[in-house]
Formats: sequence, structure tokens, C-alpha cells
Amino acid sequence: MPSLSSRLTLPVFFLAVLAIFCLIAPNFASAGNFENLMAGYAFIGILAIGQSFPILLRGIDLSVGAILALVGMCIFDLSLMFGVPGWAILPLALLVGTLAGVVNGLMVTVLRLSPFIATLASLAAYRGLVYAISGRQLVPELSTKPITDRWITGFETYFDLTRVLGLKGVVKLPWVPLSFLILLGTLLVFHVLLAHTRFGRDLYAIGGNPEAARLAGIKVGRLTVAAYAISGLCAAIAAILLVARLTTSTEGLGEGIELTAIAAAVIGGFSLTGGTGRLLGSVIGTFLLGIVLIGLTQMGISPFVQQILTGLILLVAVGNDRLQTLRADRQRARALGEVPA
Amino acid sequence: MTAPLLEATGLGKSYGTLVALKPSDLRLNRGEVRALIGSNGAGKSTLIKCLTGAVTPSGGSVLLEGKPLPLGQPGAIIRSGVSCIYQHSNLAPMMSVMDNISMGRQPTRFGFVDRKTQRTQVQDLLARYGIDLDPDALVGTLPTVKQKEVEIAKALAQDAKVLLMDEPTGWLAVSDVRRLHETVRLLAAKGVGIIYISHMLDEIFAVCDSLTILRDGEVVTERAVDRISRTEVVAAMVGERLARESLAAADSGRKATGSGEVRLSVRGLGRRGVFRDISFDLHAGEILCITGLIGSKRTEMIHALFGSAPHDAGEVLLNGKRLVPRSPAWGMANGIGLVPEDRQHEGLMLGMPIRDNLVMTTLRRFHRFGVLRPRGIDRSVSSLIAALNVQPPRPAQLVGRLSGGNQQKVLIGKWLARDPSVLILDEPTVGVDVGAKAEIYALLRAARDRGMAVLVVSSDLEEVTTLADRIGVMNRGRLLSLRPAAGITRPELVAEIGADA
Ligand SMILES: Nc1ncnc2c1ncn2[C@@H]1O[C@H](COP(=O)(O)OP(=O)(O)OP(=O)(O)O)[C@@H](O)[C@H]1O
Ligand SMILES: [Mg+2]
Repeated sequence: MPSLSSRLTLPVFFLAVLAIFCLIAPNFASAGNFENLMAGYAFIGILAIGQSFPILLRGIDLSVGAILALVGMCIFDLSLMFGVPGWAILPLALLVGTLAGVVNGLMVTVLRLSPFIATLASLAAYRGLVYAISGRQLVPELSTKPITDRWITGFETYFDLTRVLGLKGVVKLPWVPLSFLILLGTLLVFHVLLAHTRFGRDLYAIGGNPEAARLAGIKVGRLTVAAYAISGLCAAIAAILLVARLTTSTEGLGEGIELTAIAAAVIGGFSLTGGTGRLLGSVIGTFLLGIVLIGLTQMGISPFVQQILTGLILLVAVGNDRLQTLRADRQRARALGEVPA
Repeated sequence: MTAPLLEATGLGKSYGTLVALKPSDLRLNRGEVRALIGSNGAGKSTLIKCLTGAVTPSGGSVLLEGKPLPLGQPGAIIRSGVSCIYQHSNLAPMMSVMDNISMGRQPTRFGFVDRKTQRTQVQDLLARYGIDLDPDALVGTLPTVKQKEVEIAKALAQDAKVLLMDEPTGWLAVSDVRRLHETVRLLAAKGVGIIYISHMLDEIFAVCDSLTILRDGEVVTERAVDRISRTEVVAAMVGERLARESLAAADSGRKATGSGEVRLSVRGLGRRGVFRDISFDLHAGEILCITGLIGSKRTEMIHALFGSAPHDAGEVLLNGKRLVPRSPAWGMANGIGLVPEDRQHEGLMLGMPIRDNLVMTTLRRFHRFGVLRPRGIDRSVSSLIAALNVQPPRPAQLVGRLSGGNQQKVLIGKWLARDPSVLILDEPTVGVDVGAKAEIYALLRAARDRGMAVLVVSSDLEEVTTLADRIGVMNRGRLLSLRPAAGITRPELVAEIGADA
């Protein structure tokens, strides 16, 4: 367990950045803006949660953007081309994403490919598959038709927090999008799974030292496949939310999004060397990136500068990670001898 | 005679064409402590790993209490009651001591890990065996010695019927070794069968009932410990000739202060809170051994000399010139070499072949117009491998797959290849067999006779009294004494090392 102070670093940093933007960016502290933030970043948060699992195991999943597009296109096809009802589409969508993740996991465990190579290959393959099955290409007149199935578009719902809390006329709180609640639900489920079950502890063990885990009788192969499957499943959930928001899907959906998800997880404390991290961190990491981007946009700063700043945040996060390691080293030196505290 | 607790028949293992273990038999009774000894690369660890499922044997079978053991399945084997302290670290550094000890076996309630029960279990275990560890500390923040204790606790946690210990005492202090031996006897009295690997014959004779000697992957001797003498053991391990040589090597001439020329002069070196006031001269052509308890800051001190750790007081003079050690590259540029203590983490690139490891420190010699000359490298590597007697003598062999002692030879060879004017070695023979020890001593003596200044940090008193021309004793970060080795006896040293400063 990391110490309390190191666990609090990220939330405190997050709140500080939030406060700064509220003070300096015009219109940032408005209810509408927070609605945008929640709705626009909930699905990225879910991707970051999924991404955290392979990273925990010293791996990486570069294919989440492609899986997102694949699931999105499946929803598009099933709904518009085949007229499948939404309640049947949803489980199928989750299944497709999970299977895509399982294939990644099998490439890593059975074929022993490095995760980077395996998911780089599947990134290309899944994206290619999206083009191949695209209803937009197969039936061109569908490309302008929106998805109207209530089971799917229903995910784009907002709850009036002010009314629910009975604060009407007192303050104006942002409306909470359903997608944000789903993010919180996903976080809760996977957090409990990771922090409080044998499955989760075993994942930390594998990430920390795969050989030790194997010798302790942990089924390293199976759990690795499960980790990639979870990443795929999360990409599918994200796809459903995104398609609901756009009421359509495109071949290029989620292109490059994997980098944001990876950055969010790393900022959140999942070190690429494996074995550490907490899911709440990944979600906070996502919204940290979110407020910086939205805040800077509102301040009229060019998108190029924004990208540079995103990179800087990543550096700060990783630098902080190094700092913690150094601190741990010093602790060790102290244990070795009587270095004055 | 009752049926043995563990009975292996025809157990063998080959890696490709290399036979690490020829089909061998091994029996272990309840309450028996059996020593498994042999030179580096004899196949001891391989035999152990076959028994734990870490590797799948190429042939043979194992019965535990008459029932066949599911070979090659670590999980199932642990559950049937065989646990192991491996030679090399098997911990997850970013996890707590508690989670490492119960790795893969945390108690659960309704599918959730039951932290409270886990904690009491671990605390009970630590208390029962008198191991002093904080269950919540991150393993990666603990010093090597403490990590070894975590491994020991982890193996003990499984209430095993058979406990395998692969060099459990490397890096442990004398008092910890004694405590471990008490634990071993305690477990044996309870009927646990124990296999104990060590290169320290003292330990074998102190704690074991019987011994099995392996040589070149084959069982050559099986005997009760009280029916065999030390010389017989050494002869069985390495052969008559080497045994005689290693005895002879023990008493070669000493040259206190070497040629008399001061090579490295240390004046009042200190680092706040770690060590202070270290002053000594290291002469060309001498071997200076610094000994002391684990934690007496010898390692920190030599790293400061080499430039890989800071110091904040005093100065270092090399050949009379004042130097400011600041980085390993600096140390190397000035002709100082350092063979670190932890070969697995600091010394070797385990995933690379012997060849690349050996030339790592000397690559620039093989450049011509900025391009490496492979032929020159090959020649130099072959002669080094021959000089060090690395087994197997194949330049392309991955270092991670060598036995522990052979890894150590590669590590030392890498630095000898540079022919530094000052060579510093930290615990150079941990996990090295008697034969290889004699070879390493001979290498160091030859380097000394060529005029190299050699500084050795060692906790092994036998080593110190055999190898040193002069002996220094450190205690709690201070250099207590420094004098010619001739005439110092081991009891004197023991008394001095333990003395309170
Ligand atoms: N994974 C592997 N691949 C190829 N060869 C290996 C592998 N593991 C071990 N070997 C070889 O098997 C032989 C026996 O090694 P083993 O580790 O059992 O020796 P050991 O008796 O434990 O020696 P030490 O005392 O040095 O620990 C060595 O020659 C080693 O190089
Ligand atoms: Mg071994």
C-alpha cells in the first residue's frame, strides 16, 4: 500500500488545477461546462479503467480505439442494417468488445508476443475490419440516417441534480449525464474487483513479479487473458456511450484515443513497469486531461499548445512517480542504516 | 524401514542439448535435513526446481507420501505440501510484505480478500519464527537481507511437509544464520523433511543429517553427515586434484602493503549519518579485505569511492592526485572497477549472452573508426571464458541461464577484462562453490601480482583470512582497525567485528 501522502498527491493536484481554471478561464465554472466535461470524458474514463489492467501487468493495449470503433460499427450495422432491437444489441456489443480483448490476451500469452506488438497488430486488424463491415460503405444511403433505438439513445440522458437534491432556486448545479453515472458504476465494480478480491491481488502479484506469481501457483496465463478481456469490455461500454451521444458511428471513431487512455492511466499512477496503481487514479487522470483541454480552449489557446501542455502533464506525472521511487529508496537507505530522518 | 516422505526416481532435465541433471534418485524421510551440495552448475537448483514445478523435468517421477506429485504445476505442488526458498529473489517489490508472504493464497470471505485474517495469520507466523518484519512495508524498500527474510517467511507460511532451501543464507548475517538453523531443526523435529543447499560446509555440518553430492548433473555420493569428512566432501564435489589445489591456495604468500606504492588514499571520507572518518591507504599489489557485520556500511563506503553514491566529507587521492568521485563513468575513466554485491540487479544483463556481458566494460577497445570489430571481441571473450573457467564455455549462452556461481565469474571477469588499476569487489564469492572460490582467489591474486590494488568487502571470515594481505574491520560506519592479515586468527576477528564502537 502506498502511503497516504502519495495517494493524496494526485487528487490535490487535480483540485488545484480545477481551482485555477475556475479562477482564470472565462465561463469555466459554469454548470453547462461541467456537463460538457462529464459527458465528453466519461467514456474516456472508462477506457482508462480498462487500459489500467494491461498496464498493471506490464503490458499495454494499443487497440482500444480500434475495438471502440469495431463495437460502434457493430451497433450501427445491427441497428440500421438489420433492425435488431436495442436490448439485443447491447449484450452483443459487450461480447464483441470482450472477445476482441480475449484475442489480444491470447496473442500475448499463447503466441508470447510482446503486448506492444500484439496490440499494434490488432489495432490495424480491428480497424481494417471496421472498414470491411462498415454499413456506411455497404449501404451508402444509411450513412446519413441516425440511430433512433431508445435502448441505445437512452444512454444520452441527463439528470437534473438541482431538482433531485431539492435545491431549486438555491444554486444551479450541472445536470449529470447518465454516462457519468455509468463511469462511476464501472469504477466501483472494477475497483472492488481489483482491490478486494483474490483475482485483483493476483493481478498485482503478476505485475510485480510474473515468475514469483507463477511459482506461487497463480494462473498467470488465464489472468493475463482476463486483463485484456476487461480492457476490451471497457472499450465496448465506451463505444455504447459514444454511439448514443453521436447517434451514429464512423470508421474513424476513437482514432488515437488509446493514447489519451494510456496517458490517463499513467498519470493516475499505473506505472508502465507494472504492479502498481489504483483505478480511481486513472479516472482522475482522465478528468485532469479533460479540464486542462477544455479550460485552455475556453481561454482561446491554440490546440497545438494544448497538446504540448498535455505532454507536460504526463511528464509531471511520471516525474512524480520517479520522485516516489526515490523516496522509497531513501526509506530503504534509512532502514539499512541510521540516516537521519 | 518406513516409506520415505519424498522419493524421486530418474528425475532428469535437459535444456536443448545441455543436460543439466542426469536421471537421478533422491529420497527424503520425515524429519530429515538433507544437504544437497556440489559445484556451481552441478544441477542443484535444477533438481530443486523440478521438485517445485518451476521447471518441468524431462523425465522421471516423484512420490510424496506415496502419491505421485503433479510435476510442472507449481500451484498444485504447493498445495500438496512442498514449498521452496529459491536461490534468486522471488518477490513482488511493489507489494507489501504481507501480500508477498501470502501471495496467491490470501484468505477470502464471500469472495473478498479477508484482510484482517490475512494480517493475523502473517503476524502469528512472524512471531512464531521470531522474524522481525513490518507486514505493511513495501518489499522493494527493504534491504536485501530483509527481503531474504520475507522469502523465508513466505516459504514457512505454507506449513509444508517438504521444505526446499536453495542457498537460504547468502547475505544473511551470522546471527540470522544461527536463527535460521534453529528454525530448521525445529521444523525437522516436527517431521518436516528439508533439503538444504549451501556452499558453506560449516553450515552443512552444523545443521544437516545427511548429504547428497551432485557433480556434473549426477548424484555421486549419498552419506550420513557424521560418516564423511570435509576433505572427502570437497574431493567428491570437485575432484581430488582441484581439492588439493584449493587447499594449497589457502596458504599462498601474503604481501602486506604490496609494493609499498600508495595507489588510492582515502582521507576522512564521510557521509552524514551513514559512515564517517574513513581513512586508509590502498597499495599497488595488495589485497585489502574489509569485513564487519552486515549493515556496517561497507557497501555504501565503497560506492562512494567509485562515484556511484555521494559523500559529503573527506577526500580521495588516486596516485597522489586529488579526485572528486561523482559517477561510475568517472570511476571507470580513472581506472577504478567495482564488482557490485547484487549480481542479479546491479551487475549483469541477465537477458544477454556471456559475450556481451564480458565486453560491456571494454567495448571501446574493439572500435576501429567507430565500428565494432567482432573478431577482436570473440578472441578476447574466448580467452576470458577460459581464464575464468565459465561453465558451459559458450559465449552465446544467456547469462540468466548460468548457475549462480558461473554468473559471478562472468561478473568478475567483466571487470578484470578492463585491467583497472584499482579493483573493488563487494562480497565476491556469495553463492560460489569451493572450487570456483579457489579459482576466483587465484584470479585476484594474479591481478594483485600484476600490481593491481584490490579492495574486497566480505562478511565471510574464512574468505577474509584466506585472501587478505591486510584486514580492516568496519562497525557502524567507522573503520575500527586496519592491520596486516598474517597472524590474525578467526576468533580474534569475530571478537573485533562484534565489538561495540
Ligand atoms: N533455463 C536454462 N536454460 C539453459 N540452461 C540452464 C537453464 N537453467 C540452468 N541451466 C544450466 O543447467 C546447469 C545446472 O544449473 P543449476 O542452476 O542447477 O546449478 P547449481 O548446482 O544450482 O549451481 P549454483 O551453485 O551455481 O547455484 C548449468 O550448467 C546451467 O547453465
Ligand atoms: Mg543454484
